[in-house]
Amino acid sequence: MTHLDAEHFDQNARAALQDATLRQALRRATDLFAERRARAIGAVEDWEALREQARAIKAHTLARLDHYLTQFADQAERAGVKVHWAKDAAAACRIVAQIAADHDCHRLVKAKSMATEEIGLNAALARADKEPIETDLGEWIIQLAGETPSHIIVPAIHKTRQAIGALFVDQLGIPPTTEPAVLADHARQRLRAHFAQADLGISGVNFGVAETGTILILENEGNARMTTTLPRVHIAVMGIEKVIPRFADLEVFLRLLPRSGTGQHLTTYQSLLTGPSPQDGPRELHVVLLDNGRSRIVADEAMRSTLACIRCGACLNACPVYQQIGGHAYGSVYPGPIGAILSPQLDGHAGATTLPFASSLCGACKDVCPVKIDIPSLLLELRHRAVLSPPPHQRRRPFLERLGFRLWAFCHRGPRRQALLMFLTRLLLRVPGVRRLGPAGAWTATRELPAPPRLPFRRRPEARR
Amino acid sequence: MNDRESMLAALRNGLCGTTAPPLPPVLPSPELPGKDCAERFATMLRQVGGACEQVRDLAAAARRVAELLAAAEVRSLAVSDAPELAGVLEALPPTIRVYGPESDRTTLLAADCGLSTAQVGIAETGSLVLVAADERHRLCSLLPPRHLVLLPCSRLCASLGAALAALSSPDGRPRSPTVTFVTGPSRTADIELELVIGVHGPRHLHVLLIELP
Ligand code: SF4
Repeated sequence: MTHLDAEHFDQNARAALQDATLRQALRRATDLFAERRARAIGAVEDWEALREQARAIKAHTLARLDHYLTQFADQAERAGVKVHWAKDAAAACRIVAQIAADHDCHRLVKAKSMATEEIGLNAALARADKEPIETDLGEWIIQLAGETPSHIIVPAIHKTRQAIGALFVDQLGIPPTTEPAVLADHARQRLRAHFAQADLGISGVNFGVAETGTILILENEGNARMTTTLPRVHIAVMGIEKVIPRFADLEVFLRLLPRSGTGQHLTTYQSLLTGPSPQDGPRELHVVLLDNGRSRIVADEAMRSTLACIRCGACLNACPVYQQIGGHAYGSVYPGPIGAILSPQLDGHAGATTLPFASSLCGACKDVCPVKIDIPSLLLELRHRAVLSPPPHQRRRPFLERLGFRLWAFCHRGPRRQALLMFLTRLLLRVPGVRRLGPAGAWTATRELPAPPRLPFRRRPEARR
Repeated sequence: MNDRESMLAALRNGLCGTTAPPLPPVLPSPELPGKDCAERFATMLRQVGGACEQVRDLAAAARRVAELLAAAEVRSLAVSDAPELAGVLEALPPTIRVYGPESDRTTLLAADCGLSTAQVGIAETGSLVLVAADERHRLCSLLPPRHLVLLPCSRLCASLGAALAALSSPDGRPRSPTVTFVTGPSRTADIELELVIGVHGPRHLHVLLIELP
């Protein structure tokens, strides 16, 4: 499939809206998610207090990120972790490839991680002939299909069981089935063979504890446990914003993340790794700290809270735009409301002029966000910036638009002029077909423009008298 | 300037002049509704698809383990090095082959069932905490399709917070390089959000709560 890009969000979205199967799959999934989340947080009495605590911890940590990152790296190194610093995607990929080469690793397995998607790690390793096998069921499906994830928690959310069944028949030669349990069992068998042979494991990190140098990985399937246990070397790629100060802070985040993400009290597995464990685990543990634009966001006070995100996916499920078009249309690694604020700010600035506008500002994302990120305000700020400093090719608005606004301004400088303009407008709107002309077409293609009233608004008061 | 220094310098420059809002004190763990820990642990574990039953003492546990293994037709058993398991293993029929933690990976990957204890049980969520420094259960709790766990009731704690506190040594350092929290059997919902139990980790998780130490 061709990968969509964020600069063409409008076209992507329009195409997605035509895809009935996609919309059906999305509707089902986002409804289910919302229901599960609501049930899970309904049972927590102090939900609001937890959210406020998480917000405050993140606000503090991000404002002192230099301090906490130093502490995290020092503590991790003390525990025997090899810490690497990657200022951008290319540096991070280079580091991972170098570790693989240094340790003569050839069979790579990977647990789902958005940070590694962000840096395009698989493609980079494929160039060295070391493409890792994805081991999370959803990610594996996506890898077999040669696609990209469309949701940060459920990568294959856009695919129906029929599509996945057909994919497995085609790629693995299994007998036809659409039964999720049977499909999952095939995945288990296949991937075990890879796990048994793997010599390098790659994962992301959900939280890094500054106080102890511990990294945490949350999951449900057990593939992250396999990935962090069986291979002799492990590499975890961690965005620098994942640091939290104290070990005890894990409690609040462990209460918030699974409930917001999947509606679980706790995900099935949490792996807490503080250094390598030569006996029954990797002999070497590497952590790659990734900047890729994050230090710029940290420095930007108005936008800093973007980095508080714990990637739960709740804002995607709640977003009326995401619910209709899914993740691919955003054309960036991070879709949905969080993608619309994060992607334009990371290195590459994907969709800086399009994604902040991909929202109705309804505020549903802000209501569900477990760390209380005010996404609508951040979207507005990014819109503001996009308009003030459009990229060179957009700096000058089109001639017709400029002329139109000049005329508009001219006509509003006196009551006579205004009356004349309105009179002409009413006449014009009676001409058949005119309502679909020019820029009006973008609006009226999917909506009815009401017919102009007989009596103009400004004449109504006198008529009433 | 090396990479570490330049990345930290970028952060420091960007934050220069910023006053950070204060770090809030750690929230107290929530009070849990009545019920004793064992009962709540069992309820929560069953909710996520695990099995849980109470036995009186280690001898009763040994009998029950033998029954469960026979019922599941287990022929090969991967075990940890927990001393509590010695008596249990003695009571097993000789037809069951037993593999310790130092067995090779291929053997452990092919085992029918794993057997271990857990260091902490969390009543709030029905979770087991596996502390790898105290017991070599990392492989036997993960690779076989079943995991059988003996958990003395004395190791139950009320909340997630209490369990986290138990993981640090007095100087604040973690007691173990690897700790794993396990809440129920392995699961996925990656295909149309339909719940499937048992993907990469064990499909069956069975906990025997032992009342007397
Ligand atoms: S922005 Fe908030 S709701 Fe969205 S993924 Fe991040 S933490 Fe979750």
